[in-house]
Amino acid sequence: MSFDQIRNVTTEQNSFQLAPRGSDTDEALDIAVLTAWEKVKTDDGSNLVVDLIELYLQSTLPRILAIRNAAAEKEWVALKHAAHTLKGSSSTLGLRQVAKVCEELEEASSTSCTDGVEALVQLLVYKFIKAQQALAAERDRRLPGITRTLQRG
Amino acid sequence: MRQFQVTFKEPTPNRVLIADDDPVMTHLVTTIVKQQQCEPVVAKDGREAYRILQSDSRFRAAILDMSMPFLEGLDLIHYMQSERRLNTIPIMMITAERDIKVMSNSLSAGATAFLAKPFTPEQLESAIRMLIGSRKSTRRAS
Repeated sequence: MSFDQIRNVTTEQNSFQLAPRGSDTDEALDIAVLTAWEKVKTDDGSNLVVDLIELYLQSTLPRILAIRNAAAEKEWVALKHAAHTLKGSSSTLGLRQVAKVCEELEEASSTSCTDGVEALVQLLVYKFIKAQQALAAERDRRLPGITRTLQRG
Repeated sequence: MRQFQVTFKEPTPNRVLIADDDPVMTHLVTTIVKQQQCEPVVAKDGREAYRILQSDSRFRAAILDMSMPFLEGLDLIHYMQSERRLNTIPIMMITAERDIKVMSNSLSAGATAFLAKPFTPEQLESAIRMLIGSRKSTRRAS
């Protein structure tokens, strides 16, 4: 699923308006936390930070959709589990805003007060889009030009 | 003539079981495990880890996520403790849970170490180094 597709998911059904691109992507990612992983050497010489960004982006989209579906179906256990998992990887990579919303979702799904869940899911999508932009910029900055072109092609 | 029987002690296995449903966490842990000259054996959820453990006990250590689909990390610890062939394997639990009760439950169930998310590379490295170097005392299976 692309950036535009996930944006449409929210705008179509919830009339959710996105802020202008790039306005708070700096706050979306704590670069010091992500950069700390640079010093870890991989056995095949690949760039660990780039690998982590790719894995996070690939695995988070289906997880957010799972959260959204679980909220719509009022499947609180599934929602709590998906939010908990996303909280862990987001906080480890420095995506504190995504992690914070996940924590709020986790708490809301554990209690009988689930009224705010829908708004939190919308907020999560918004925060993820910002995180996605920040991560993509970091990945592109780390990749040599030729690799970048090949990956996009 | 007296007969002598020579038995060779099996070398300590160099494999580490990693069970986590999050590919980011799995990649991080796998990378550090390889750095420690160990071979990672990855299970993508608790059920897969359980299936591996049913037929394979040659692990130097196990690193388990607390919250996994089908079978949670704590259930896996209970299973490992109940099996004589598995109950000497040192176990580290990883979780984003902040509740102190969760940590205490894991340790009292038989985990050797506990690592809370988020963690830094140094914290992950030192926790895995310590886990791989540790030896768990044998407990009788209940």
